[in-house]
Amino acid sequence: MIFNRFAREARRSVEAAQQEARMLGHDSLGDEDLLLGILRADEGIAAEALSSLGVTLEDARAESEAMFSGALASIGISLEEIRREAGDAFDLRIPDKRRIPFAPGAKKVLEQAVATSVRLGDKYLGTEHILLAILENDDGTAVRILARLGVAPEMLNDQLFAARSG
Amino acid sequence: MDEKTRTRVGGPEDPRAGLEAVVALRRMLEALEAAQVENAFVAGWSWSRIAEVLGISRQAVHKKHAARIKSRYPGRPPGRKERSG
Repeated sequence: MIFNRFAREARRSVEAAQQEARMLGHDSLGDEDLLLGILRADEGIAAEALSSLGVTLEDARAESEAMFSGALASIGISLEEIRREAGDAFDLRIPDKRRIPFAPGAKKVLEQAVATSVRLGDKYLGTEHILLAILENDDGTAVRILARLGVAPEMLNDQLFAARSG
Repeated sequence: MDEKTRTRVGGPEDPRAGLEAVVALRRMLEALEAAQVENAFVAGWSWSRIAEVLGISRQAVHKKHAARIKSRYPGRPPGRKERSG
């Protein structure tokens, strides 16, 4: 099982990712949820590096939501109008009973995180390995959320390695 | 369709935007269906009547929505006294 190697902080960040996905109404857990999970759990080197670059959970969530309403706006649909029309019953949250599977991209990120941890000769898998793997996924939503927050993958990479050696 | 419109809807030159719009739409549709079924239930509609308008079986509507809605409205019997309209 892939999670055996995971340090407690990394496990917690994945659990937090599940909560974020549920709250935001993502019916599968994507790489952006893994990023939000790291921010939400707020433990480990990755959370530190993100925070040192000014990335907050609230901002990252807001960008994820902005991308969602932007995608709807691109086909002429106003999320706000729908919310108004449908009233209080309109709730994007995924109901508690429904399982939220990992999206293929997120699965790949977690596998990549294991590979990165092994390559770096670490005996554990921490949040920094997950974040490094997220950054390698150029096509992922997480990298684009970070870009919208003014953070390039290289900046975070440097920050992570600095924190590891420091 | 002019150039500007094509860009806006994520035309062939921006497959990502087009695909992302589909994902967003699916997510929105799920939430909207849940909301409108709940609204109908609250208005006193029966599961059969809701199902008929949605064009799916009563069982399908019930399976997908009943537990969630009933937990939000405990004690309310599924629409006996239907209103017209």
